[in-house]
Amino acid sequence: MSVKELNISPVGRVEGDLDVKVYIDNGKVTRAHTQAAMFRGFEKIMEGKDPQSGLIVTPRICGICGGSHLYCASSALDTAWGTKLTPNALLLRAIGQASETLQSIPRWYYAIFATDLANKKFADKPLYKEVVKRWAAYVGETFQTGLTASALPVQIYALFGGQWPHSSYMVPGGVMCAPTLKDITRAHAILAQFKNDWLEPVWLGCSIERYMEIKTWDDMLAWVDENESQRNSDLGLFIRAGLEFGLDKFGQGVGKFLATGTYLHKDMYNNPTIEGRNAALISSSGFFDGENYHEFDHLKVSEHVKHSWFNNQADGLHPWDEPLPTPAQSSTLEHTNFDGQYSWAKAPRYDGHAAEAGPLARVVMNANPNNKEHQIRDPLFGDIIKKLGPSVFTRVLARVHEAPRIYKFIEQWLSEIDLDGEFYTKPVEKDGKGFGATEAARGALAHWIEIKNGVIKNYQVMAPTTWNVGPQDGNDNPGPIETALLGTTIEDPLDPVEVGIVARSFDSCLVCTVHAHDAQSGVELSRFKL
Amino acid sequence: MANVLWLQGGACSGNTMSFLNAEEPTVVELITDFGLNILWHPTTGLQIGDQVQDLLKDIIAGKVQMDILVYEGSLIQGPNNTGSMNFFADRPMMEWVKELSKVAGYVVAIGDCATWGGIPAVPPNPSESTGLQFHKKKKGGFLGANYVSKGGLPVINIPGCPAHPDWITQILVAISVGRIGDVKIDDYHRPKTFFTDFVQTGCTNVVNFAQKVDGGFGKRGNGCLFYEVGCRGPMTRASCNNILWNRQSSKTRANHPCLGCTEPGFPHHDLKKGSIFKTMKYVGGFPMEVPTGRNRVAYYLEAGFQKIMPTNHRVQEGSK
Repeated sequence: MSVKELNISPVGRVEGDLDVKVYIDNGKVTRAHTQAAMFRGFEKIMEGKDPQSGLIVTPRICGICGGSHLYCASSALDTAWGTKLTPNALLLRAIGQASETLQSIPRWYYAIFATDLANKKFADKPLYKEVVKRWAAYVGETFQTGLTASALPVQIYALFGGQWPHSSYMVPGGVMCAPTLKDITRAHAILAQFKNDWLEPVWLGCSIERYMEIKTWDDMLAWVDENESQRNSDLGLFIRAGLEFGLDKFGQGVGKFLATGTYLHKDMYNNPTIEGRNAALISSSGFFDGENYHEFDHLKVSEHVKHSWFNNQADGLHPWDEPLPTPAQSSTLEHTNFDGQYSWAKAPRYDGHAAEAGPLARVVMNANPNNKEHQIRDPLFGDIIKKLGPSVFTRVLARVHEAPRIYKFIEQWLSEIDLDGEFYTKPVEKDGKGFGATEAARGALAHWIEIKNGVIKNYQVMAPTTWNVGPQDGNDNPGPIETALLGTTIEDPLDPVEVGIVARSFDSCLVCTVHAHDAQSGVELSRFKL
Repeated sequence: MANVLWLQGGACSGNTMSFLNAEEPTVVELITDFGLNILWHPTTGLQIGDQVQDLLKDIIAGKVQMDILVYEGSLIQGPNNTGSMNFFADRPMMEWVKELSKVAGYVVAIGDCATWGGIPAVPPNPSESTGLQFHKKKKGGFLGANYVSKGGLPVINIPGCPAHPDWITQILVAISVGRIGDVKIDDYHRPKTFFTDFVQTGCTNVVNFAQKVDGGFGKRGNGCLFYEVGCRGPMTRASCNNILWNRQSSKTRANHPCLGCTEPGFPHHDLKKGSIFKTMKYVGGFPMEVPTGRNRVAYYLEAGFQKIMPTNHRVQEGSK
């Protein structure tokens, strides 16, 4: 079989515009290029504007991660202005971030990811019938249950932020709201509804507490087989079908992970500084190079633009030193020369390395043996990464693994709110530089701001999708999704669902397109939207 | 029964996320109970690549009927009116929209970006974004002031950043159950049934607004947010405080100033210094903008009178 080129445009069920070009040799992907296909210039829009513009503008970069952008935007101003944050303010911000992520788990799993498992590619597998019955789009038995339940966690967000998506309730110095007892009790009730409607009966088939006893991959396998209820839960089925369908066999990626961490502890970040951030995180930050953990330092983050559609910028600059974007002429995937500029995404690097961001990166950091008492200490994915390595399967398992823990966190944080305490401390506005970060549902998110003469001089946003979907860097090293596609077997070039599955396992936040070409003749075989 | 195609241009997917929060009907019920047939949607569509392109071509050729075109996100025309900053399915999105709008039964613009450009269109508007039939307050936009769809209506605008799921689902239901003839639109093409009352209608702070008792961030007691932190509730037409968000609350009920996102021109004052969460005032403390429909001088006199009334004080709401 000859080398083929596959162009897929559009690649649906990711958020935003992504095109992917893959070269196929003997049925396997040998080269891949990801192309972000849409430019709005939000950072440029904020130049010269009110320093608080990010609170309104950045949540609207991404309707899925709006609360996460808000968490970053308010934190960046906190560090620039040297605000004070009360325990209540930190708790309510963490609850907002956590409820947005909790929402995203069933919504992403059913609406975006699992429908691919109902693809005809898997029709000869024994579990295929059961998968289709449950997870086929719109008509699957638990598709509707999961999608409907996904609206519940953001009802909690709405109690404190007014609405989801697109609230701006986190502001430098705290939060806008001052909830009363009835808001707290209502939030508890909604959370319980989420557990009773979906999390325990449909997803786990056991109690949250039982699930959280799992510490190793062997524990996990034993949990699946422990009883019928767990075996037949949606998670039980995912684990069995995922292994049967071979999802653990492709989509490995770069094997290096980056997390900016999130959930600033209520008593440890009352005087926000960039230096004090790592120690105050409940879900820890860090860089894992495949063997060793390294402490996260935002000054080691840089962006490359050699292969991005931006002009007048040097490679490898830290965000504070980056100029606002000067867009270059873009082209369609078919007419793109991949030796040159080919994406609206920049290529972020940590200490020079491409790194995967996302839930898998997050749970890998949670397994860091150096994590402190107040931080998540969960060895499970340290073990899974050693035994299974990264793959589509591991990535999805990491994503859904967080639901029970986030549930418990929200419950705990609600109970810690002091109704007699303060929620907001008015800050003094001044010029300076700031940095704010979090973990959006889909990974590391960070904002850098510089304020001069009372207006925004520079604003840089680095999203998890930028980390994952970014193109090659200045040394032509590919990005994480480009790498993860390598070696993937494409069974049917006319329906290259495998490319979609890999890209969707990263939960990319742009609308993706993949094009397949015969590498020798250049004839286009097919294209699709991820 | 109605065939719906949903596309996203310069979008954040926020309106889709809002749509997925819908209840009575949920998105699934819209499909199973109201006969809505979603031909394709970027977040939930199963077809990919060529399959999507073929579908779009079949719609344009009249082989597949498209009763409703839902468009989310701005129309990206940059650079230099080429639209190449937003390729979709191998072409500039704006070219697809131009052709699809000619065969659409009805065109529904969802959210501020699609209606009048939204945040992407804030100067310097790096992507040359505009709305389907408006650019900010000015009629015209991408399709032009005279555009009407095959069903005889101009673009139906469902603004908001994002739009409330009820506004989206109910306009789709209205079309699918043959009630579109009852939908009356205002000067900005908004269905009057959702966009006649002001956000202030139903606001829990309304008594304090009348008595000029101010609130602020982190404070309990429903003080009004109009004077100090820039609330636009009295100038913004939307049913937020009537139908509530996520069935729970609203911005103003959660002590969050209304941003005026259902009015053309959001973000108002184009984010200029001093306009974010601060009420813009003239020297002397008079707010630059007064509630819609009020005589400015009469409003200042009445407000000033209330401000100095010693009997007006915040009705403290306890924390427990």
